[in-house]
Amino acid sequence: MRRSLFRLPWRSAQRIDEDVDEELRFHLAMREEELVARGLSADQAHAEAERQFGDMDDTRRYLQRYDRGTENAQRWSDYLGELRHDVEYALRKLRGAPVFTLTALLTLALGIGANTAIFSVVHGVLLKPLPFPHPEQLVRVWSANPQMGSTQSSVSPVDLDDWRAQRAVFTDLGGYWYTEGGSGIDMTGNGDPRRLSAAFVEPGFFPALDVQPQLGRLPREDEMHRGGADHVVVLSYSFWHRQFAGSPAVVGRTLTLGGDPYEVLGVMPRDFRYPADRIDVYIPYATIPDEAIPRLRQVHVLDVVARLRPGVTIERGRAEMAAITHRLSEQYAEDRGWTTATVEPLRDVMVGSARTGLLVLLGAVAFVLLLACANLASLLLARASVRERELATRSALGASRGRLVRQLLTESLVLALTGGTLGVLLALVGTRALVAMSSGQLPRAAEIGLAPSVLGFAVVLSVATGLIFGLVPALRATASDLQSALREGGRGNSGGRGQRMRAALVVAEVAVAVVLAVGAGLMTRSFLRLLDVRLGFRPDHVLVVNFTIGPRDHGSTAQMQSFYAQVLDRVRALPGVADAGAAKEIPFRGSGERMGFVPEGMVVPSGTEPPTAHLIHVSDGYFHALGVPVLAGREFRRSDDSHAPLILIVNAAFANQFLPGRAAVGRTLDIDGEQVPIIGVVGDVRQVSVEESAQPAMFIHNLQNFRAQTNLVVRTRGEPLAMAAAVQHAIWDLDRDQTITSIFTLSSAVGDAVARPRLLTTLLTLFGALGLLIGGIGLYGVLAYFVMQRRREIGVRVALGADAGRVQRMVVGRGLSLAVAGILAGLAGALVLTRFMRSILFGVGTTDPATFVGVTFVLFGVALLASWIPARRAARVDPLVAMRAE
Amino acid sequence: MARESLDLLQGTLDVLILRTLAWGEMHGYAISRWIHDRTDGVIGIEDAALYKSLHRLERAGAVEAAWGLSENNRRARYYRLTRRGRQQLRTQETAWRRYAAAVSKVLEPA
Repeated sequence: MRRSLFRLPWRSAQRIDEDVDEELRFHLAMREEELVARGLSADQAHAEAERQFGDMDDTRRYLQRYDRGTENAQRWSDYLGELRHDVEYALRKLRGAPVFTLTALLTLALGIGANTAIFSVVHGVLLKPLPFPHPEQLVRVWSANPQMGSTQSSVSPVDLDDWRAQRAVFTDLGGYWYTEGGSGIDMTGNGDPRRLSAAFVEPGFFPALDVQPQLGRLPREDEMHRGGADHVVVLSYSFWHRQFAGSPAVVGRTLTLGGDPYEVLGVMPRDFRYPADRIDVYIPYATIPDEAIPRLRQVHVLDVVARLRPGVTIERGRAEMAAITHRLSEQYAEDRGWTTATVEPLRDVMVGSARTGLLVLLGAVAFVLLLACANLASLLLARASVRERELATRSALGASRGRLVRQLLTESLVLALTGGTLGVLLALVGTRALVAMSSGQLPRAAEIGLAPSVLGFAVVLSVATGLIFGLVPALRATASDLQSALREGGRGNSGGRGQRMRAALVVAEVAVAVVLAVGAGLMTRSFLRLLDVRLGFRPDHVLVVNFTIGPRDHGSTAQMQSFYAQVLDRVRALPGVADAGAAKEIPFRGSGERMGFVPEGMVVPSGTEPPTAHLIHVSDGYFHALGVPVLAGREFRRSDDSHAPLILIVNAAFANQFLPGRAAVGRTLDIDGEQVPIIGVVGDVRQVSVEESAQPAMFIHNLQNFRAQTNLVVRTRGEPLAMAAAVQHAIWDLDRDQTITSIFTLSSAVGDAVARPRLLTTLLTLFGALGLLIGGIGLYGVLAYFVMQRRREIGVRVALGADAGRVQRMVVGRGLSLAVAGILAGLAGALVLTRFMRSILFGVGTTDPATFVGVTFVLFGVALLASWIPARRAARVDPLVAMRAE
Repeated sequence: MARESLDLLQGTLDVLILRTLAWGEMHGYAISRWIHDRTDGVIGIEDAALYKSLHRLERAGAVEAAWGLSENNRRARYYRLTRRGRQQLRTQETAWRRYAAAVSKVLEPA
């Protein structure tokens, strides 16, 4: 601005001082001349001039300091002005090349957006510390019985008391009983009766986690022991908000839970969601009566979370737990065999199964970003080559090399930052979509959010991308040999170096695309295999109604059983219901209770435990309603009730493993000293997950051995959910106070069971497609540029009689040779990298030949297409036009 | 307070310098002479204050400086008005005329 007319170079501090000196010297000299002209002597004139001036030294110092400040301000303003100029110039240039700009922006936005979204999820689930004080001290502890091959068994409350009494390196050990849809309590007297999801906790629970309530207080240890004032309840934050609108007056109120009054002691903070998101209330475990869960050493029911003392390693925790459990196993007959304990960091346990999938996604998305960067670099290189003449001209006109480098850098930074901003927006949307898509499939999903660190990650990524890939072409374009670029007459041919670099980039892009496509292919094939699995039952047209029969109005077990039978009869009689049955655990919702048994004719050596299998409580007609075939014998009938002798049904896996070679029906199992005959064999059902094949299982009639937890399985003639209200009312007609825990369709439960692989497949396929697209664009870009550069050569060839086919073959040949190099490198890389996917693949090897061959063909196809378009353009080159373009 | 009177003085000096430079570019000594001659020596400006004011005006963008040759062939620092300087002169001139008129009214016998 001030130097707009004629630019002065910046002045050094020394130069400024000299300028001030000279200016003042000139003034004094002029004044002296004037005074001498008026007749003063030289000496007098000198003295008078200084006197008239004032404090000369002070002024000199003042001006020198002041001018240095002026100079600094000037430099800043020049710099900002140049920056603004650079940015404006960059924007103008970018607008002038819309295809380049859009491609680059899209590439960046996708690369950065996908990265930030996935990284946000990984951060929330894997990296972010658990929301407890000193989370690294928290561990999970299980009982372990090496003889039975059981490493992570639940813990008996009686054993846990001993663990707590004998602990030395643990601050505390907290037991809790919570199972989704299983552990709950009915709330009455507060609007409609409702089933609350409850965690029943032992005294060490809150101290081990070291949390404080947001409101009120936590129960004292004496309130959590049986016989104490144990009817107290702590509310979760979300329940407090939903039920009491966040009113602080709730503390001290009384809730009727399970028919008994409970005093509300406090409310937990918002981010306290342990052990699960959906918990409504925390209740002392001591309130559970012995009739429901006997408090015995052999009853393993609690999960245990524990806190190590500060500075104590997990190894010392393991050693202590091993010593304690070993002592107990020698002391008590019931603990025989339970000679040790398993101790694992809490975080590993919580994140556990999601880890590999997330890391694979993170890897895939990193590849996408790599592709995006390579593409951007390639685009910038191409542009730099095209603009070499422009840069050479500007350089010749006096623009310094630094100035040109800064100009180009600004351009790529503007691009990177714009792309980064778009990417962050995409990430915001993407993260939300990911969390929505993965509902129930990710641990800690509630903690996922676009954290500031994640945002920083995105910004650093975009700036670094811009800097690195802007710098390479910028330096190359302004290298010493600008004169030759000018002399070459503007063809902008930078010789082989840029071409080779871009060719290398394209090979790398194709290779990365291959890796991504192989990952996506493997995941897709694995998912298809998963969908092909024969579940062993028919999930369509089945409504599941989950409830726990309350003890209060039905009193004795006999009355509860009668209620159970009546519900079945009522529901079966409903119009629109084809069939109905019930089970304590239906597929994908629990595996049953573990039960020891001795098959007929088997001798269990002394000192070893008998074999165990899962025992599932079912109703009469359950297998028919679920669509499970009865392979031999029959299924339970209503008459097989508590008055009749105990009988069992087993599944095919059980029969094959424990009673091989002979008919199972008619044989007996010794269970707790009682000889129980097997009356039927049913087909195998995937009970735990779609991936896991059926385990040996026994089924017992619920009217013979009653369990209150009930999953009503209703096979409907029409849309299953349409029957939900009718079934609910059939239950309420019998007992208005019976709470319903949940209602869903069996097909949705099956859908949930494959939701995680589906999510992984969807995302990996998306990234694979993205990889193919970006890789294809990259290849196309290089070839299009290749053709543009060789227009003259092609023109000459055509003029000399080369036909169109020959020109096309030349271009396509070049494209394919690059693609083949990339494909080979990619296949090699994929062979190495897909190993990390092993644990998330089902029924497909990591080197699945079909996938690798398929991907090769697809990539080859994409390469052919990407080469063919520029080739066609090359073939249409008019030799006259091409040569005149010079 | 002393500071206020200094401000007034400085403002006065600025407007005199700007007005002087409106005639054309000049070096510091010439400005000093010009003001002295135009006011018949009534307003005697201390040279130190003149130069401080010139450099301040330079930073503010009201004047710009460049080295040139003086009438007797010596290197001198020449100052010239910028566009912003001209604007500043216009506004300050008006303010000064009003100020001077007001002061005259007070001093005039009633």
